[in-house]
Amino acid sequence: MTFLQIRGLRKDYGIVTAVRDVNLTVERGEFMTFLGPSGSGKSTTLYILAGFENPTAGDILLNGDSLISTPSHKRNIGMVFQRYTLFPHLSVGENIAFPLKVRRLPKAEIDAKVAKMLKLVRLEGFEDRKPAQMSGGQQQRVALARALAYDPPVLLMDEPLSALDKKLREEIQHEIRRIHQETEVTILYVTHDQEEALRLSDRIAVFSKGVIDQIGTGPELYANPATRFVAEFVGDSDFVDCRVLSAQNGRADIAVGSSLTIRGVPMHGRAAAGGAAALMLRPERLSLARGSVGQGSANLAATVTDITFLGSNIHVAAAAETGEALSVRLPFGHEAASSLSRGDTVSLGFDPASAHVFSA
Amino acid sequence: MALLTEQEKIAAVGSIRPIRSRNFALTVPALLLLVVFFILPVVSLLLRSVMEPEPGLQNYQALLGSTTYLKIFLNTFSVSALVTAVTLAIGFPVAWALAIMPKRWASIVFAVLLLSMWTNLLTRTYAWMVLLQRTGIINKTLMGLGLISEPLPLVNNLVGVTIGMTYIMLPFIILPLYGVIRKIDPAILQAAALCGATRWQALSRILIPLAAPGMVSGALMVFVMSLGYFVTPALLGGTANMMLAELIAQFVQSLVNWGMGGAAALVLLVVTLALYAVQLKLFGTARMEGR
Ligand SMILES: Nc1ncnc2c1ncn2[C@@H]1O[C@H](COP(=O)(O)OP(=O)(O)OP(=O)(O)O)[C@@H](O)[C@H]1O
Ligand SMILES: [Mg+2]
Repeated sequence: MTFLQIRGLRKDYGIVTAVRDVNLTVERGEFMTFLGPSGSGKSTTLYILAGFENPTAGDILLNGDSLISTPSHKRNIGMVFQRYTLFPHLSVGENIAFPLKVRRLPKAEIDAKVAKMLKLVRLEGFEDRKPAQMSGGQQQRVALARALAYDPPVLLMDEPLSALDKKLREEIQHEIRRIHQETEVTILYVTHDQEEALRLSDRIAVFSKGVIDQIGTGPELYANPATRFVAEFVGDSDFVDCRVLSAQNGRADIAVGSSLTIRGVPMHGRAAAGGAAALMLRPERLSLARGSVGQGSANLAATVTDITFLGSNIHVAAAAETGEALSVRLPFGHEAASSLSRGDTVSLGFDPASAHVFSA
Repeated sequence: MALLTEQEKIAAVGSIRPIRSRNFALTVPALLLLVVFFILPVVSLLLRSVMEPEPGLQNYQALLGSTTYLKIFLNTFSVSALVTAVTLAIGFPVAWALAIMPKRWASIVFAVLLLSMWTNLLTRTYAWMVLLQRTGIINKTLMGLGLISEPLPLVNNLVGVTIGMTYIMLPFIILPLYGVIRKIDPAILQAAALCGATRWQALSRILIPLAAPGMVSGALMVFVMSLGYFVTPALLGGTANMMLAELIAQFVQSLVNWGMGGAAALVLLVVTLALYAVQLKLFGTARMEGR
């Protein structure tokens, strides 16, 4: 049986539709991330799971049973919020004990569990502190301990690290990974940071304007983006305007500018012959050669506009003949790149099978 | 006369704040005002209470040694406690509702609250008299509905005093409570719910403890104001439950006994100050997170 299933979920606020057509299944123990820009409906979906909002339509099944009519306090779901939500008048230990106390567990059991949780989040010795005496990162770890104290089947996390600085964020990301492995809890995680999503998740659901554009592992999303939005949001990408000449079996022959024809590029979306489309290229999969290479092959002519040394790689900015700004990422020590300067004419080559065409 | 002092007291109590200013000179006019209008009358009352009709503590002995007067003290405290409890019980849900309702609605409710505060105290008390009396709207409606056959005694007794005073005191508890409740992040209550807390558990274990400073300061203000209240008990209360302010008025106006009146007033003042000291000790300096 599917562990967690979201079916046809929709939420309207008056005339605004926050999310619609959300369909998702999550396996037990999976780390699933909702990735998307601000306002794309990630939190709304999470809040419906938590029971803070009622969906306009759709259902949520946990082990086959609908959760919709169960109030929040009976769902037995854990959650870590974006804002600090520790109870300010209770100590760290009392915060972690709170869910166990409202469940009226025996005191010995509560004490043992609190100690275990403090150990899990590596905050032994902090149980008597008040939340105000802890740093932001420590507070979120306590919140994590509180949310896991009652062994919830599902843990929801709504941008728990967004208030922390980059270094601390990476540190706690590692903690979260470790805790996920140790506890084997199923996690639904919300973020708008693609790096965080890629680092943490088993699978990622990419949200855009209230719908899920694509669900898949990080490499799947990167190698095979279903929409232009996913291609833009996951990893870096270059786009070049093109025209579809013909399309069949998910592949298209396209024309770029007046002289270049490229055959057999994977095609997403529907486009009639002659329709406008966008060719998507990954900066690190482009090859760079000086001067112009013969016509007909998958090569774009471009002019170098900037060169930036970034340590392990070199970033070359270039303007395509058709005007688009392109970026190319070359490994440090790349032969052609070493003598490159602004204004040089270069030829950017790519494998048509690894490129993508999105209908406009 | 009595009305004016009530209003002045309300204004004064509401504006007590720790003085942070480094510039002492600026506080001189205020201090002068305080000396002339507060300290001097109190000192003169103190003097009269120990000097009239002859030097000594006999006024205090008479006051604290007689069961009649002690009963009045007791009644004053119990009426004030009752009013405070009822005001809290009504004020807390109202403040909570105000804190979570849309801003536009809340500002309408506030306008009504303030409007009622600005309406003359005597007018409001007489309005309650009209509503509560034997032939008033409340009794007529209840009888019309067939719920009662005899008019309920709602005025000239404890019920009347409690209703009238609660109504007047409500804003003084709603405003500070609204202040603290509004500062509580709703996500904290959502977290409590997901932790498994029922509404009742979230209320008793999270919301009320977090609102406690506002509750204590509001309750204390209501209690202290009730201790010295005159108009409402005089108009809506009965002779059986006289309050201290009525006693003082009687001493001074009917009996022209400034010694006894001053002694009673000073006892009231001492109790009031003691209560403030307790509140300051509990909630004044210590921050609730910081301890
Ligand atoms: N209570 C509400 N009333 C009206 N509209 C709402 C409400 N909550 C959310 N919305 C709208 O629904 C949409 C989705 O909001 P949601 O909070 O789910 O976005 P999000 O993906 O979590 O964004 P963020 O990254 O900024 O948190 C937004 O357009 C938002 O304005
Ligand atoms: Mg959000």
